[in-house]
Amino acid sequence: MAQMETAESGGGRKKHEKVRAKKMSTRVDLTAMVDLAFLLITFFMLTTTLSQPQTMEINMPLKPDNEDKPPEVKQSKVLTLLLAADDRVFYYHGLPEDGMTVDYTNFSAKGVRTILLDKKAEVEAEHGKDETLVLIKASDESKYKNFVDILDEMSITGIQRYAIMDILPLEVEMIQSAVIEK
Amino acid sequence: MGKGSGSKESLWVDMTAMCDVAFLLLTFFILTSKFKVEQPVEVFTPSSVSEVKLPETDIMMITVSDDGRIFFDIDGQFKRMDLINKIDEKYSLNLTDQEKTAFSLGSSFGVPIGSMKQYLSLPVDQRKSVRMSGIPSDSTNNELSEWILYGRMTNPKIRIAIKADKDASYPVVGKVIKTLQERNINKFNLITDMEIRPEI
Repeated sequence: MAQMETAESGGGRKKHEKVRAKKMSTRVDLTAMVDLAFLLITFFMLTTTLSQPQTMEINMPLKPDNEDKPPEVKQSKVLTLLLAADDRVFYYHGLPEDGMTVDYTNFSAKGVRTILLDKKAEVEAEHGKDETLVLIKASDESKYKNFVDILDEMSITGIQRYAIMDILPLEVEMIQSAVIEK
Repeated sequence: MGKGSGSKESLWVDMTAMCDVAFLLLTFFILTSKFKVEQPVEVFTPSSVSEVKLPETDIMMITVSDDGRIFFDIDGQFKRMDLINKIDEKYSLNLTDQEKTAFSLGSSFGVPIGSMKQYLSLPVDQRKSVRMSGIPSDSTNNELSEWILYGRMTNPKIRIAIKADKDASYPVVGKVIKTLQERNINKFNLITDMEIRPEI
């Protein structure tokens, strides 16, 4: 570069000096600016929420009119799950009866999931696909976590038809007598 | 001399590229971020395998704490202003403009409508430390139902999300769901954490 400039005529030296002066002035120390930028990045990273929360969408049935009869379902297609205290799920098939004994299980993969899958396979063999109806009734002692867990199991086992219902007094009694027995 | 100038040059690191990167990242964070809003209670949501994300805007959030208190939140400063104006009119709370502004800038709250004026007249720092009793949602005095009604009036396309603590007892959540159903809202979201879908 210097050689090229010496090859030029008298004005070259002036130009050369000018260029050098300019070169010095363009070198700005950016260290402080980088420091500042990273400081701001850190601030934004710490104060913000990047991820949006996950959600589970629920569609409840329309409020029934008093004149509407509830749809009738074959007993053999129905499984009722009763959510009780201490993460227990009581279950029975068909309609509730007096003096009926209910079994209980838990929320693990070997617990309620196997029961749901068994029921699903059973109904599928007998009545066809997606005919299983699960009634979910949460008792007053159950936690919200149990409720979400059971809805989750519906999604995992692929049961399309389920209903969230209020627990009947008879079913509360059934849970109580089953707890005493155990 | 050549040696000296060489060592001097090696000390000078060119920061331009680093500066570019830093500002690029900074821009990214500024544009993509949403500030954390301070919540009156800490809520640990249960986990689920659902992978649906909650939309960022038009959300009405009903929070249920582990001790069963209910909180209400709606997004958007102008919608909140609209909401408090409507509530003020309905319940003749005689709120001042300052108190209304305080409401519009706030977040989740859980005070009965009766003590709303008192709550809003507190200075900001005191408002954060006050323990809120939760919104009444009994069948005799269902203020939650009112908030939902007016909340939907201010923004018809609002979506309703329930954010409940995993240890909240089910009856409280059931009460919220029942309130929603009474208002003919049959579609709502439950906020959960992520969990890996197990193989079956």
